[in-house]
Amino acid sequence: MSATAGPERPQVVSHVQQALSYTVFDCRWVPRSARLLCLGSAARGTGLIQLYELHGARLELLREIEKPKPIKCGTFGATSLQQRYLATGDFDGNLNIWNLEAPEIPVYSVKGHKEIINSIDGVGGLGIGEGAPEIVTGSRDGTVKVWDPRQNDTPVANMEPVQGESKRDCWTVAFGNAYNQEERVVCAGYDNGDIKLFDLKTMSLRWETNIKNGVCSVEFDRKDINMNKLVATSLEGKFHVFDMRTQHPTKGFASVSEKAQKSTIWQVRHLPQNRDIFMTSGGSGSLHLWKYEYPAHRSKKDSEGSEMGVAGSVSLLQNVTLSTQPISSLDWSPDKKGLCVCGAFDQTVRVLIVTKLNKM
Amino acid sequence: MPVWLREHSWRQTLTAVYLSLPLRGARATPANIFCSEQYLKVSIPPFLFEAILYAPIDDANSTAKIGNGNIFFTLYKKEPAMWDSLTLANAGKEKLQYLRENAVLKAQEKAKEEKEAKKITKQACKKYALEATMKLEEAERKRIEDLKEKERQKVAKELEFWKNQQKDADKYKSIQQKGELHQEIEPLKERKNEKMNKTRIPNEGTSKIRLKSTKGHGSCSIFSQNLKEEQLPAPRAAATIKVNFTPRVFPTALRESRVAEEEEWLHKQAEARRRINSDLSELEDLKEEEKNPDWLKDKGNKMFVMGNYLGAVNAYNLAVRLNDKLPLLYLNRAACHLKLRNLHKAIEDSSKALELLTPPVPDNENARVKAHVRRGTAFCQLELYTEGLQDYEAALKIDPKNKNIEKDAEKVRHFMEETMQSS
Repeated sequence: MSATAGPERPQVVSHVQQALSYTVFDCRWVPRSARLLCLGSAARGTGLIQLYELHGARLELLREIEKPKPIKCGTFGATSLQQRYLATGDFDGNLNIWNLEAPEIPVYSVKGHKEIINSIDGVGGLGIGEGAPEIVTGSRDGTVKVWDPRQNDTPVANMEPVQGESKRDCWTVAFGNAYNQEERVVCAGYDNGDIKLFDLKTMSLRWETNIKNGVCSVEFDRKDINMNKLVATSLEGKFHVFDMRTQHPTKGFASVSEKAQKSTIWQVRHLPQNRDIFMTSGGSGSLHLWKYEYPAHRSKKDSEGSEMGVAGSVSLLQNVTLSTQPISSLDWSPDKKGLCVCGAFDQTVRVLIVTKLNKM
Repeated sequence: MPVWLREHSWRQTLTAVYLSLPLRGARATPANIFCSEQYLKVSIPPFLFEAILYAPIDDANSTAKIGNGNIFFTLYKKEPAMWDSLTLANAGKEKLQYLRENAVLKAQEKAKEEKEAKKITKQACKKYALEATMKLEEAERKRIEDLKEKERQKVAKELEFWKNQQKDADKYKSIQQKGELHQEIEPLKERKNEKMNKTRIPNEGTSKIRLKSTKGHGSCSIFSQNLKEEQLPAPRAAATIKVNFTPRVFPTALRESRVAEEEEWLHKQAEARRRINSDLSELEDLKEEEKNPDWLKDKGNKMFVMGNYLGAVNAYNLAVRLNDKLPLLYLNRAACHLKLRNLHKAIEDSSKALELLTPPVPDNENARVKAHVRRGTAFCQLELYTEGLQDYEAALKIDPKNKNIEKDAEKVRHFMEETMQSS
């Protein structure tokens, strides 16, 4: 399936391309604005946060903030719309929350992990969902910790390996199922292919599975609803879509998997305005836009009478190759449908517009 | 001998000659007619008609109509003049010959020329066709590019529009916030004054009520935000969840494992376990469990621990007779022999164990280290220090962190130096 100019397919239009002088690891839209943040690591081993604003056909650099340690990931998920504080995880295991107006001293800081924080996610902020604002971090030291910005130094939940067990790197974390004040779920993906679902209300492991290849990225289609779908991407070009509405006591959740390309799928991001459309970014510098179709019946009874989920199908809407290096980070703008930013390892950040999503 | 057709009839005008030739029942096709400027021939074997024309004609435009057992020629004269007769009379045989050959040659040349002309036109046509298709494709491509460009521009415009909307919304919001802030401060000042005026009576209840009633404004006021914060649940009670990772036979992720080697090792193990030396005659008087090499190995281990080295050796011997592919049996028997100071046998058994412990994978690391150490010790006790040192170093390579092996290796090196010095 190649990129065609057929009248009905969504097109991915490259709007702006900006070359950077450092390696960018994560890029995020600042909510309720046309500004975006790039987080990364400069050649001299320090961390950089750059704030850009979209002006016509170019990006204008508004601020540049340098920090002692390279920054791996960041999120706005746990702050309110007025404050818009950025939570970042760096190469040293520190979790910091910054006020971008006064970035010299972090609003909250803790050395959460012994090794690099690979992934971070926030929930409870931005006017989405209910409940306390919380941040979850997953690190190479094998632990997943949930933090509340109102509580210093200790995490409110800690998922760590059993004593004596050899640890596996946690590569990705995601919040989900936060539809009321009590319910919340954290999904973590590890480098040996484990996916674990932790329920924070009962503080227990709710489900786990193994997809054989290391899990690069997991995301729920929406954080603030009863958990509906989970997409997990892995090495060797495969991704799995799990239907999370029906959990079978032994078989777990139903899933459909798709092999998109030969290289690693680095990120998956759902379109904030339509939860059945998501984009995956690949190690060969390509982006694929997918649509999930639900099956006729989402659950069925198995031979013993217990409910079992039925997975639907995934179809490719569009694909485009933007770079020769992996596209490691991707973010949709929550305010403008189809606007997204992606950062690649060729030290460029690109702003893209995906058209015709209204028709999907 | 051809049959000459002579009953032809002809008439002429100033510019043309009309010749009619009856065919006497023969069928004519265009191939049978040969015509050049001054020579006309119709040859339908066995019939033949030949005419050397009085004057040259324009053979390109002249026509021949075949039908009704008759060929009707319309020959256009090159020069309009009346001919005395159709054919040239007095034509001598030689002249005839000459004219014939000439005619044939001319015809051939004409054919060649025509061919060339045709080729040229064909090439020109092809070129033209190619250019036409190229133009079409170019047009198509341009159309697609234009579509894309239009999309891009439309999208860029929408983006600008949205951005401006955002800016306006922000400005509006900030103005609104300032306005409301102002509004909120006024009643607060009033309330403060009221509180100060009122005395003991606990008014917190009433003042709180009044605070709530002013909350009906927009959501951007500070006070409503404060209240919302109070509605947030308290931070979760800290807890830890312990996790286990998926066990694998080999503790490496799929991409790290050396699958081929590990598969081989597993396969070998499985094979070894399945084999049983079928030497039944001697084994008839053994009990069921004594025929199980694993059980015998356990028995041997227990006896070793208790110090009954001979008994252990016996148990291992029997186990080996049943199944000679289990490396652990040889390994343990080597340990027993060491204790019994049967050094050569110890060396033999360790070597056999090492042989069976290929291919080298992380799973059989421990076993290999032990085998090397035992063989090393045996060598040293036989005063074959160089071989002993070799084995210790091999063991160290597999397990660099083991302090005991290091110490022993050091000791052996010392011994070697001393013996070399003394000798």
